Amino acid sequence: MEGITSETGELREVAPFVYELPAGARPGMRVPARVFADAVLLAQIARDRSLEQLINVTTLPGIWHAALGMPDMHEGYGFPVGGVAATLLPDGVISPGGIGFDINCGVRLLVSELTQAELAPSLEALVHEMSRSVPAGFGRGGRLALTHAELDRVLVEGCAFVVRELGLGAPEDLPFIESGGRLAGADAAEVSERARRRGADQLGTLGGGNHFLEVQVVEAIFDPAAARALGLRAGQVTVLVHTGSRGLGHQVCTDWVRVMDRAMARYGIVVPDRQLACAPLSSPEGRGYFAAMCAAANFGWANRQAITHRVRQAFERFFGGRGGLRLAYDVAHNTAKIERFGERTLCVHRKGATRAFGPSHPETPPAYRDVGQPVLIPGSMGTASFVLVGTDAGSALSLASTCHGAGRAMSRGDAKRLVAGHQLRAELAARGIVVRCPSNLELAEEAPVAYKDVDRVVDVVHQAGLARKVARLRPLGVVKG
Amino acid sequence: MHSFQAHTSDVEIRLSAPSLAELFAEAGLALAEVTWGCPELPPAGASGEVVSLAAPDRDALLVDWLNELIYRGERDRRLFTKFAMEKVTERDLVARAYGAEVPELRTLVKAATFHRLRIEETTGGVAATVILDV
Repeated sequence: MEGITSETGELREVAPFVYELPAGARPGMRVPARVFADAVLLAQIARDRSLEQLINVTTLPGIWHAALGMPDMHEGYGFPVGGVAATLLPDGVISPGGIGFDINCGVRLLVSELTQAELAPSLEALVHEMSRSVPAGFGRGGRLALTHAELDRVLVEGCAFVVRELGLGAPEDLPFIESGGRLAGADAAEVSERARRRGADQLGTLGGGNHFLEVQVVEAIFDPAAARALGLRAGQVTVLVHTGSRGLGHQVCTDWVRVMDRAMARYGIVVPDRQLACAPLSSPEGRGYFAAMCAAANFGWANRQAITHRVRQAFERFFGGRGGLRLAYDVAHNTAKIERFGERTLCVHRKGATRAFGPSHPETPPAYRDVGQPVLIPGSMGTASFVLVGTDAGSALSLASTCHGAGRAMSRGDAKRLVAGHQLRAELAARGIVVRCPSNLELAEEAPVAYKDVDRVVDVVHQAGLARKVARLRPLGVVKG
Repeated sequence: MHSFQAHTSDVEIRLSAPSLAELFAEAGLALAEVTWGCPELPPAGASGEVVSLAAPDRDALLVDWLNELIYRGERDRRLFTKFAMEKVTERDLVARAYGAEVPELRTLVKAATFHRLRIEETTGGVAATVILDV
């Protein structure tokens, strides 16, 4: 049994790629803290405070099974990014800090019939057109101005509303979105006027930070049968969309952390980090936050749907009928969802983590029942992204969850000190990658060196049995948010 | 004064000031610097807007103060760069925030967090650590 000593104590390897700190190792722990990693990733994880944050999560009232760290785990606030925790209902808590401010930040994969050779002559102009069509950057409003009533419907109906009423995409898209692009628990009345104002003109916008649009090519297929089921083949052009619920989601989290912080004493709840403020899901505060969080998640899916529409228009302008983009799947990274595991009903918090249902789960889309729910893992800019599928075994191993990306390994400040943005831009160009990013400094913040090795992260996911590798996607063009 | 510490994914700010009121003003300046992307901030306009807040304790008050500035800034595309703190107690704040309309801001700040938040008395006055989600 190999162990690793870190600031937060000794983790023991309890199974291949599974490291654990048992419940009882620290005062207040109710369940073990468990991390999926190899020795290299574990050493990277141990460099920041993410293990300490995961241990804090084990103290949440009603937590069940374990607090889980995915291989891309890194320091966040409240939960670590790459953290998963389920609480047992009806008494378990819900914590906005277990979802984060960017509610339903997520990724969707669009698949074209174009080959890289067909795309190549138009790549630069296409990426430019995509950057013009999809507003990016700080608080940048979009072209969709919604009335109060329309925003209400987006919050409650999610993607279905923007597809059916605003003509953004096709009804055929909906089954290929996690939860059909709509969480049924949403209540627009629980979303504050502030959140509405912050997000009102942001539907169809990318935002900033690590959000992006990426044009890619399928570089390698690892599982031909699963790739066929997902409609993927080597050499095919794809597009990845990465964004979330924008200012609306940020404000929902701000509002409800404040509410929970003031309510905890009423329920006798003490947490080691105030950012883990929580309340029983059955309480008025718990129900209110859940309804608002579901509404923000619906806004997030509608946002990715609106962006998809713009990207499709751009492809069609360049390639006509050959430029069609089929939605392969859309996954959320930051949510709390009510899920059944055996006889138990759990509130599963995933913060920087992807749901990964296996073939036999009823929520896996019928088209993918033979292979499992697609899992989309974007890498750092300029490296690679992966398509995987969930496994039935993952349900018991990781509460049907897996990583959400490569995971940061370095602060933005350190990345800027280490990487010259103009050099990175030149290096990407030399590799044939077209980049649209407003400044070299922002480009440097997202440099590949600032992230863990996505190939290693995905290999751990695959070897630990949380999900199965299907395909590797190589970037051709990036619009950075 | 303020400084920025390495944080894997977010921004950690260290603040110090002779008094609690000045600490809150410094926090506003640090937020503006993060958002604007450099310490040379654009000049504030002549007319400020009143911010009035109440919270259970001063930690929550600091989080509320920063989140108020983040909200108003995003709503109005405004960068607040000057603060007149009229009253700051352990639980209440009244201030006037002066800002400038700006076409572009560099860093999207989603929110201020409670994570590792500390306000402490020091020999020179008051110091604090606060983490922003960016």
